[in-house]
Amino acid sequence: MTSPAISEADSPAIRLSGIRFRYHDSAAWALDGIDLTVRHGEYVCVVGANGSGKSTLALIMAGLAAPDEGTVELLGHRVFDDAGAHPDEYRAARHGIGMVFQNPEDQIVTTVLADDVAFGPENLGMARPDIVRHVDAALDAVDMAGHAPDDPTRMSGGQQQRSAIAGMLAMDPRLLILDEPTAMLDTVARADIMRILDTLHARGTTIVHITHSPDEAHRGTRVVEIANGHAVGDETIIPMSHGRAAAKDADGADGGSSSLPSDIATDGGATDGTEPTEPTEHAEHADPVIAVRDLSFAYTSGEPVLSGFNLDVRAGETVALVGRNGAGKSTLARLVCALGKPQSGTITVHDIDTVRAGKRERKELRRHVGYVMQHPERQLFADTVREDVAYGPRNQELPADEVNRRVDEALDLLGIAHLADRSPFDLSGGQQRLAAIAGVIACRPDVLVMDEPTASLDARATARIRDLIRTLHARGVTIMLITHAREELALADRVVDLSRSAAPRPEAAAGRRTTGMREMRETHETHERDRADAVSRMDPRVKMALTLLLMFSAFAISDVWQLLAGAALVGAAIAVARINPLRLLGTVHPFLALFAVTGAANVFFVRTGTPVWSFGPVTITDDGLWTMVIYVLRFALVILLGAVFLTRTTPTQMTDAFESLLSPLARLGVHTHELSLVMSLALRFIPTLTGEARAVADAQAARGGGIETGSPMQRARAMGAIVVPVFAGTLRHADNLSRALDARCYEGGSGRTHYRVMAVGARDVAAMLVVAVYLGTLVALAFIR
Amino acid sequence: MSVSSPTTNHSTGVSDSGRWSAKRIAVYALFVALTIVLSFVEFPILPGVQWLKYDPSGIVALVAGFAYGPAAAAIVSVLGFVPHVFTDPWGAAMAILVSLALSLPAALVYKRNRTRTGAVIGIIVGAVVAVVAAIGGNLVVSPFYFNMPVSAVVPMIVPILLPFNIIKMAIHGVVTFLIYKPISNLLDKRA
Repeated sequence: MTSPAISEADSPAIRLSGIRFRYHDSAAWALDGIDLTVRHGEYVCVVGANGSGKSTLALIMAGLAAPDEGTVELLGHRVFDDAGAHPDEYRAARHGIGMVFQNPEDQIVTTVLADDVAFGPENLGMARPDIVRHVDAALDAVDMAGHAPDDPTRMSGGQQQRSAIAGMLAMDPRLLILDEPTAMLDTVARADIMRILDTLHARGTTIVHITHSPDEAHRGTRVVEIANGHAVGDETIIPMSHGRAAAKDADGADGGSSSLPSDIATDGGATDGTEPTEPTEHAEHADPVIAVRDLSFAYTSGEPVLSGFNLDVRAGETVALVGRNGAGKSTLARLVCALGKPQSGTITVHDIDTVRAGKRERKELRRHVGYVMQHPERQLFADTVREDVAYGPRNQELPADEVNRRVDEALDLLGIAHLADRSPFDLSGGQQRLAAIAGVIACRPDVLVMDEPTASLDARATARIRDLIRTLHARGVTIMLITHAREELALADRVVDLSRSAAPRPEAAAGRRTTGMREMRETHETHERDRADAVSRMDPRVKMALTLLLMFSAFAISDVWQLLAGAALVGAAIAVARINPLRLLGTVHPFLALFAVTGAANVFFVRTGTPVWSFGPVTITDDGLWTMVIYVLRFALVILLGAVFLTRTTPTQMTDAFESLLSPLARLGVHTHELSLVMSLALRFIPTLTGEARAVADAQAARGGGIETGSPMQRARAMGAIVVPVFAGTLRHADNLSRALDARCYEGGSGRTHYRVMAVGARDVAAMLVVAVYLGTLVALAFIR
Repeated sequence: MSVSSPTTNHSTGVSDSGRWSAKRIAVYALFVALTIVLSFVEFPILPGVQWLKYDPSGIVALVAGFAYGPAAAAIVSVLGFVPHVFTDPWGAAMAILVSLALSLPAALVYKRNRTRTGAVIGIIVGAVVAVVAAIGGNLVVSPFYFNMPVSAVVPMIVPILLPFNIIKMAIHGVVTFLIYKPISNLLDKRA
């Protein structure tokens, strides 16, 4: 055994020599002979193009992946050498290394920020008072102390990324590695992250920042450039004075508030009912192709994303839509493609009223309008690129040779004809983007809506897409282009800034998630606001066990008195939980409606008892009616109990209780801790996957693939075109999440400590007594009868 | 889908000591999340029979079983319906039973014969077991669910329960078969 700490003080933070790394399905080396030393206290920025190998290098430096060849020393631990990986050394080194990834959302492990930040310290087995101290300090360091009880999955990308950094800081890392942490953030959020890194560096943390932004790279003390798996440059930067650093901050923040060059006229899609301004050079095309009138849209009532919005786009015009995150750009794009219904106002595209369009009109609209969603590569599904691109033309039921012609044309336009027979999943990110766009172009739309088509793409693919926009414009295609990139504004005839017209909204990211689980969301909001009631403060284990007991025992109810006892108990629970009964009924009414229908159907199946009414073969008996009444009412009790529990228990408490109640099974060899972590992570990813599944379904619908129409086989295919990309997304999140778990030193349940403590109190004992009395009453009533 | 467990090369060896690696936990969690999401996408497929609804979540359990083995199928089947326990307890129990009946036999068959044919046989065996389990389960649960005697449920088997479950399994099977190749490409790439 090597004793790890001997030389930690004088050894460098990272020493890599002769590192080679290759992915299993590739003959080429992703990294080919990298030598790099990072000393303690340095702030090293690693730059390079997409695919240069810099992310792989980051994983190796963080101790999250082992190379194929070379020597790796991390924080004085020789973790990899000619003898291979040394797991114990890796484990020891990792405890001092933090890593922050590009995608903010995939690093979140639970739905309460403080619990999320505590996850790492828990894995390190810190004592509870230490965890509390570390969590508080970490949240403070990233300015998120006020958000400790909030749900990070509903925060903006910038807040999520700061939370991810806090999750690392809580583990006291000496070395912090960040892989493009600002790639998915807007300018203001970027400036926040850069300022936090400056502060951490000033406190002595060694920082390695992987970035493709030259501006960000020069914040460091040293810039290392990677190209084709080699280190091609290493430049030391003269440290900036504190004053200059501060000046840079101010610049960054300024850039965020007005990202438009002043020489391009912008027009704010008038909100006050006035008509949009008409540039004179377009006067000859009197009829707009896209006409938006008085449009209002809100995902959640009271938080409009668009209100009273007007816009005209004339034939052949390219209009750029700009505006800060959450200004409603993507929403507008979806509405123009008839992928959602506004609360009020109209959108006419090619004289088709998208709001009132029937099935046939919508199909007609799909032939005209192409929709390139954000990250369109997420909609790829077929075995080959050719098949994927052919999906839209085939849905238009064109003859086979016409389909082929269109596919070839689209592949040529995007310069990917040579990839036609490859699996889309084998391509690089940039190639995938081009293939997905080809799939939209192959439908030959005369109106093309593109939502950030070049976001997080390298220079070559970006140039290709800008060329495409120019070509299509020259061919007379009407283009609506949503963008954050200043360079793209030059492609547009006109720029519309939605920030000026949209109603102010508190947090950008939250509104986007219109999940199919509105009840769950409301539940969330409720318990965030009000935690003072007795049911919220019960021990979650007791609460869960009692709820299940009551729910299942309700099915034994079979007479009036038992029903009354049950109603009294449920009423009491609602009162003690301080829930507005009407609101509660609002959340469960779809179920109640369903019971009423099935209950009514029941009446016809019961033949015993005295007939009350009969008509031909149908006879309704008093037994039948009684069956229905009991069925509907006792089921209502069950549902209400469940709703009280869900409304007054956080997902974190639920999984804690779940783990605790399962723990007896651990003796039988069941991995109860792991199962409850799986459950907790699953609950946390529901909104993410719901949003993605919806986006993919929209994008495929825009290519004419719908599961509502067509022959059974066509519908099954349409379902496949949605399910495959959703699976791909699921696996992508799983990859990211597993790295995030590794980075937080998750090494199984043993040795973990707990941030939250559960304790059974007087309140819980009282609840148990009440339930015991109630159950006794039910049994007694059964015998009296 | 020739992947036996969600592990990776370039391993640092750290996660080998835990009972389940971070990778395995992450993959299970995301499959469970997907099951939960899809279980809310439900619609009736027999006109007039509102309480029997199709939802595509069974496909996830099937794919999990093919990709990661019977244990994964079981975990996804059970945990995927836990959230429904508090809204529809008997419905959740039924859904878990049917999902297990479909995905476990399918995964076991495929484990012995890892080919497209093996997958088809697996799906068919699973579908038959699942239809039997669904009807048996309905006979047991309906008295609680509908306050209805078993004798009232029996007449529903042929006109309602049987066609519903056969259609449901047919949709599961056809879609799983269609997505089999692209998804195995995806999984192989990540191996």
